Amino acid sequence: MPFEIIPSGTNIDFIGRGKLCATLSAGLILISLAMIPVQGIRLGVDFAGGSEMQVRFEPGVTADEGMIRSALAETDVVADPSVVRFGDVSSREFLIKFKGGEDVVSGAGGEVEEPGEGSGSATASVDRVQMIEAVLSEGIGPLTVQRVDFVGPRVGAELRSDGLWALFWASLAILVYVTIRFSSRFAPGAVVAVFHDLLVTSGIFVILGLEFDLRVLAALLAIIGYSLNDTIIIYDRIRENMALRTKAALPEVLNQSVNQTLSRTVLTSGTTLTALFCLYFLGGEVIRPFAFAMLIGVAVGTYSSIYIAAPLLLLLEGESGEGFAGRKDAATS
Amino acid sequence: MSRLTFRAGSILALVLIASYITAANFVPKEQRQQSEFWPDDGIRLGLDLQGGIHWVVGVQIDEAVQHELEFLRDGLLETLSDQGIEGQTIVAEDGRLQISNIPPASLEAIQAAAAAVGSLRAVSDSPEPGAYELTDEWSQEIRERTMAQVLEVLRRRIDDPVRGIPDSVVTRQGDDRVLVQIPGGQIDRSRARALLKSTGFLEFKIVLDNAESEALLRARYPDGIAEEHEISVERDGETEQVVAAYLLRKAPDITGDYLDDARLSWDQQQRPLVSFRFNPEGGRIFGDLTSENIGNQLAIILDENVYSAPVIRSRISTNGQIEGRYTVQQAADLAVVLRAGALSVPVVIEEERSVGPALGQDSIESGTRASLTGFSLVLIFTAFYYRLSGLYACIALMFNLVLLAGVMSLFEATLTLPGIAGLVLTVGMAVDANVIIFERIREELRAGKTPRTAVAIGFQKATWTVLDANITTLITALILFEFGTGPIKGFAVTLSIGILTSVFAALVVTRTAFMLYPGGRSVSQLSI
Repeated sequence: MPFEIIPSGTNIDFIGRGKLCATLSAGLILISLAMIPVQGIRLGVDFAGGSEMQVRFEPGVTADEGMIRSALAETDVVADPSVVRFGDVSSREFLIKFKGGEDVVSGAGGEVEEPGEGSGSATASVDRVQMIEAVLSEGIGPLTVQRVDFVGPRVGAELRSDGLWALFWASLAILVYVTIRFSSRFAPGAVVAVFHDLLVTSGIFVILGLEFDLRVLAALLAIIGYSLNDTIIIYDRIRENMALRTKAALPEVLNQSVNQTLSRTVLTSGTTLTALFCLYFLGGEVIRPFAFAMLIGVAVGTYSSIYIAAPLLLLLEGESGEGFAGRKDAATS
Repeated sequence: MSRLTFRAGSILALVLIASYITAANFVPKEQRQQSEFWPDDGIRLGLDLQGGIHWVVGVQIDEAVQHELEFLRDGLLETLSDQGIEGQTIVAEDGRLQISNIPPASLEAIQAAAAAVGSLRAVSDSPEPGAYELTDEWSQEIRERTMAQVLEVLRRRIDDPVRGIPDSVVTRQGDDRVLVQIPGGQIDRSRARALLKSTGFLEFKIVLDNAESEALLRARYPDGIAEEHEISVERDGETEQVVAAYLLRKAPDITGDYLDDARLSWDQQQRPLVSFRFNPEGGRIFGDLTSENIGNQLAIILDENVYSAPVIRSRISTNGQIEGRYTVQQAADLAVVLRAGALSVPVVIEEERSVGPALGQDSIESGTRASLTGFSLVLIFTAFYYRLSGLYACIALMFNLVLLAGVMSLFEATLTLPGIAGLVLTVGMAVDANVIIFERIREELRAGKTPRTAVAIGFQKATWTVLDANITTLITALILFEFGTGPIKGFAVTLSIGILTSVFAALVVTRTAFMLYPGGRSVSQLSI
């Protein structure tokens, strides 16, 4: 006997739970939309612009967020920096975020201008990172700067628009591919399923107050690919079963197809999630936001391809009124 | 059978070649390049893994247009004054020359003079007459020329093959940006920044008057200083305190354009200084200047700051020196900047991604740990779940990774931290293709097919599903490659190559394994 996670002959009524799940998803999306005015959509340095520096104090130096904040508050190097400890409580690493960074300062007056607007050649610029390093090593103890990310306003705006374009083109390309490979009948369902996954994943980020940055964007794009992959495999089976069982009612065919592909769906999510958990726990702080977004996305993608994608087909068929050949009555009854 | 042997042999050969190319990555680079046996190329490590500085530098190219407009304005004023036309003012700002206060009588003459300047054209939508801007061709020409000049100077300062920072890269990016990449912790961030940002504009001016501070100096001129004069200050190198203020003419007496060489040297007290040499023409000008001004101070000005203002004791022609209060490093860097020449316009750092070597090493270690653990867990699970067929899948997965590494080495692709994440994701998803096929075979077996037929139908039916599933991921990976920057691009690279090798591994390698055993044999049971 082969080893099976999902016993063969499993027949769970997924389609019957379609409405419940649709409500659940819609609810989650609505909650996240409602949270936007409360939490705001938090953009990381990549998109909002500004600076982020990761510092590591030498062993033996006692430092905490409060000490860093007050050391910085005594000078006027940066206004209102955000300071968080990186990793666990015993870690000597901190992440300091602040607005601006490489500002252009006009020669004599010291008046801060936005980069790019510096007029004349009488401009020098301050390096806030270096100044912070000096302030902290003097006030708290020796440290090294591990990482500096600075994004100026112009680059930030470009990354924002590039990011949105990337999402747009990815969705469009997917739509085109699905339309070519399947009939236009299947395409809307697949696209709605993909958007569902993107919205729910982003929604969870909004609800948890997590930041969107380039790493999260990369994860969202990978989620588009993964989620569609899942949906396509189920749709492929539905198409195959529809050709085989022309007499059966649509809900039954849908249910049968989801159940037949269920072990594949679960196994693949299982191995992918296993790999992602390794990345999340062992891959280090820098990659953690990516791993987290992917974990949520893969989980949501799996859920949606089982509970959302197939029932969606039923809904779309029912409303379009065309129905599958010879099965219109069964589908709408 | 011979076809099968050929097939299996080809796969084995491919994997051996890929292993050989991949293995080269573990041989130190110098050894690899000297040895006949190993290929020279290999996977490059992104700056986020090996540590380094990544800068996107914006070139303030509008300044070049402004300089050109000022140059044209001076020419125009000269032409007009030769014709005896005066009274008008010409201002160069916002990318335009604006002629105003035009005496009605000379309107036509002024318009004719402006029209005669080939590189100017009247602004058509301007509400008042007398607005001119550069023609599109000339504006383009100025921009291109400026970019080429800035790129050239930054290359000489940073990625010069002989004197620059090893392995650093300076490339143009788009219309008005330069990408600077300095790998490894070989240069301090602030030093690199000074090298990059110093405009390197060196001027020499005779000092007209001096005082201990700007305020004291200004106090001597209650009516304000003349329009052609300016005040510059000298600061102490360490404390940044103003030590002297000088009254100077705005126009330099000679500039660094005539420099032939600049190098670090030492004074009698063994303090570092920068000595320089003019070219013959510069030597003549400098000789005349110094012989006419013996006893006066000569201000040496770099990027608007006075570095020193020695008293001219005798005529100097080609050789001179700049004394400041430098450290050895500062003097050496200043020599590089002077030698490389001046940037014609200032540059601004618009984006920075710097990673210290320690963090890079940490990332390599944690990335390796995560990938190896993920890889092992997936292998164990697959072998346990699908038994012999699972072993096939494991072999395919290992081949897959070797091929992936081989392809990346061959194309000298860059591996970044997100790239490692892509690798981990590939491992997770690569099994998918095998799962699809195996589940299909199991279904066929349950439907009562013989193992041989089940395998054949399983592969046949699963092929398109596998392709569909992977093409969609490939599409998003390619779009990410197009839009992504820096490390994120590395994710797209490993993911796309990984998808291709996974499909190959599942559809070809696993298939061949099944062909070898059970193959044509009629077994009663399939271990799946």
